[in-house]
Order: sequence, then structure tokens, then C-alpha cells
Amino acid sequence: MKRTIGATLFGALLSLQAVAEVVVVVHPDNQATITKQNVQRLFLGKETAFPSSEAATIVTQPASQPLRAEFDSDVLGRNTAQVSAMWAKLVFTGRGIAPQEVETDAEVIEFIQGDKNAIGYIDSASVNGDVKVVNLD
Amino acid sequence: MKKALLAVALTAALANTAHANIRINGFANFIGGMASEDRVVSPTQDPLYGYDDNISFREESLFALQASGDVNDRMSATVQVLARGENDFEVDFEWAYLTYRVTNNMAVSAGRFRLPLFRLSDSLDVGYSHHWISAPQAVYDVPFNDLDGFRIDYSDFAGDWEYKLGAAVGTFENEISAGTIEGDNTYLVSAEVSNDWLSIRSVYGSAKTTFDQPDLNAQITDQLSAVAPGLRDFLLMEEDTARFVGVGVQIDTFDWFVGGEYTDIDIEESYTPKDEAWYVTAGMRFGKWTPSFTYQSFKGDEVKGLDELAALGEPLQTAITPSLMAINGVFAQNYTVTSATVRYDYDSNIALKAEISRYSDDLNDTRDATLSRIAINYVF
Repeated sequence: MKRTIGATLFGALLSLQAVAEVVVVVHPDNQATITKQNVQRLFLGKETAFPSSEAATIVTQPASQPLRAEFDSDVLGRNTAQVSAMWAKLVFTGRGIAPQEVETDAEVIEFIQGDKNAIGYIDSASVNGDVKVVNLD
Repeated sequence: MKKALLAVALTAALANTAHANIRINGFANFIGGMASEDRVVSPTQDPLYGYDDNISFREESLFALQASGDVNDRMSATVQVLARGENDFEVDFEWAYLTYRVTNNMAVSAGRFRLPLFRLSDSLDVGYSHHWISAPQAVYDVPFNDLDGFRIDYSDFAGDWEYKLGAAVGTFENEISAGTIEGDNTYLVSAEVSNDWLSIRSVYGSAKTTFDQPDLNAQITDQLSAVAPGLRDFLLMEEDTARFVGVGVQIDTFDWFVGGEYTDIDIEESYTPKDEAWYVTAGMRFGKWTPSFTYQSFKGDEVKGLDELAALGEPLQTAITPSLMAINGVFAQNYTVTSATVRYDYDSNIALKAEISRYSDDLNDTRDATLSRIAINYVF
């Protein structure tokens, strides 16, 4: 019995990994051409606006979410502790405002619906018509 | 002027609570340390933060709260209060300023803020943001940290490079060594270019500096006023020009990093020696662990006024030389510190650190000591 559960869990983990892919999303009306470099600069607080010069609202997920670690390492190329340290530096010097943090993909989508200049990231499996995926290639 | 600026920033920040969009953040460093020897060192010459051979948690521990709010689309107000263990955790207004975002690339701030002398000046107290327990004291421990005035920051990108230009003007005042140091007409310009892995920064500053230490000033005045008023004016630090030059380089590939800074502070017409300080640091990141190594050097032991005295000839030269040597004895420092540090990222807002530093004094080896410290850094 235990082994069956183990195998099921293992299978579930594998399939999760196969499906889980982090994608960067914005409001469907956002017409800016956004590159991976823009995304990196926005999420590391080096830039505050889209290439269209519209001020961007950054929305992230808590450090406890596996998707956050994936976004930080795959897209930003840092680990989450380094990203937090960079933001601490910006916040406590008055040079940046920490990103909004919401708990789930659904809340990221909801946030973006409510703010046309928001940019966030979700699991590719959560994408729906309320958000537009940013092509990072 | 200073009080007025603080009051404006504070009022703006508080008035904003009505808009409910006020951001509260905080950070804390809990640091304990112990030196290998119970040394008798004057505070002007102790790079070990006042630790003795008993473990102490108050020399460097601190707690800070920051509130910031948007006054409107372009203007924000920030207030930071900080309580330091060495001051019995008395709460001080560390910073209070208004920032006006002129464009997406340029911001102007007015109020009290950290003087941007060094690469990490702004985030010096936020232990969580760096890999040391404290930034290298040879470079960072200067008696003028906060400026009352204005600051302009400009940043932009050129291809893969980001560049930042800064200028600050204002005044500072700080109490040190039973005296008060004041800087009028202080200005500072800095330039930094960086890409993914490399950052180079340079800074130049100047201030009309006055150090009012009643005992010392009285001694110099009493001894020299009648016989050598020119030398008295040379030695006293009264509205004398202080010059600050600094360069910094950092290479960070995220798996490893190496960096350093060099600074040179000179108040030519005064009794204080010219200070040359630098450090190099290198470390690696293994998951949650960041071991690093730092070497720092401080040299400021030249005897001031000897040439000016020699010009006066005998018998003054023989009579006054001992006084110059005595003054030099109070301020001269020449030392190196070698440290090994390890940082552990316990959580995304908590870091634990341990550090061992070997302090070696080139003027007086009875001051040599080893300092062991542990730290918990927290941000929220």
C-alpha cells in the first residue's frame, strides 16, 4: 500500500515537473514589446517602466511558492535569497518599491485584470484569456 | 533648516496615512561578538567596534522601521527610524526625505539621507543585503554618514550597460570623540556603470569641515597662539577643505564574486592625517551558503604640520615637535584586518552569519586582537 502511494506521489511529481513551466504574463491590452532583458530589469528593480514608458506594476509570488524559485532561477538567473537581498537594498534606500505579492496564479491573473500596467508570472497551465503571455525567446 | 526638512518629510509621510497606501518595512541585525583580548584602545583608534573579551550583543545590534508613502504620482515621502544597541536602543530619525520623480530616469530627493560615499553606503545598515556581518570598517567607518540636503539621481541603459549618475549637496553634523564634526558646502558626485556581472563606481566629494573638540582646540590655541599663529591656523580644523575620492569595482557571476573599494580622505590644513583605505573581498555561493574572505587596510599616520613648523626654525621646532607628535598619537591609525565570513540563507528574509577577523595594528601591536562574531539579519 505504502509503495503504491509512493509510486503515485512520484508519478504526480514527475508529471507536475513536466507540465510546470513558468510564463511571464501581462494585460491583453499591453502593447509594449517586452524582452527577457526588460523582464529581468523590471523584476530586479533596475527599471520601473515598460519600453513604451508606461510605469509597470510588478506582481510576484511568495518565496514559499515553488514557481517563485523557478522564475527567479530560470528568468532572473539568481536564487530567491539573492533577489530578496537586491530588493531589500532598493527598498531601504528609497530607490524602489517592493513588488506586490499575491499567493496564487489565480490571484496574479486577477491582479493583472485590475491593473493594465501589471506584469507577473504564472504556471503555463494557468494561462487563460485574461492575460497575455510575454515571449521571452 | 535641518529640522524644517525633517518636519516637512514627516508631515508628508504622516498625512499620507489617510490614503491608506503607506508602506511599512523594517530590518534588524542582532549581532554578538567577542574580542580575544581586553584591549585598552581609544575610541578614535578602535576598528573593533568596542568589543572586549566578554561577549556583547549591543555594540552593533540595531532595529529599524521605514515608512514610505506616495504623496502623488510623482512624489513620495520616506522616514526611517533606527535604534542602535550602542546608544541603548534610543530611537533616532536616521533618514527623512521627499523624492520627486522627474522622469522615469531621474529623481530628486530633499531631506536627510545617507551620504552616497561608498558602493554600499545606502544599504550599509541592512545586514541582510550583503555577505559580511558589517561592511569593512577601514573604508566604511567614517564620521560623516548622513547628509541634510538635496540629491539628484539619474540612471539609464546603453545596450547591456546600466549607468547611474548622482550628485548630492548639503551639510552634515555628527558627534564623535567628545567633539562635533560639521561639514558645510558638502557636495558629492558619483558615476557608476554596470552590466550583468561587472560594476565600476567612482566618487568625488568635498566639504568645508570643522571639528570642534574643546580640549584639543584649547591645547592647540593655548600653546601656539602667541608663538606661531600660522601653525595654529594650519592645525585647527576650522572650515578647512576636506576632499574625498573613492573607486570601487565588483565582479559578480552569481556563483562567485570578487570586489573592492579604495578611498582617500584628506583635510590638508588640519592635524588629521590623510587616510588611505581599501579592501578586497571574494566569495562563492553554494546554494544557501556563501563563504567569503575579506582583507582590509587602513593607513593614516602621517604627522601633520612638520614642514610648517620647520619653516619657523629653532627654537620653536624643538619646543613644539613633541606637541605635534602627541596630537598625531591621538589620531594616527595604521592597521589591516583579515576576515573569514560565512552566510547562510535561512529563509528568504533571514540570514545567519559567522565571522572571524584578525586585526593587526602596525603602530602598536599590543592592540592586535581576533574578533569573533555571529549575526542574525532580518528584513520584512
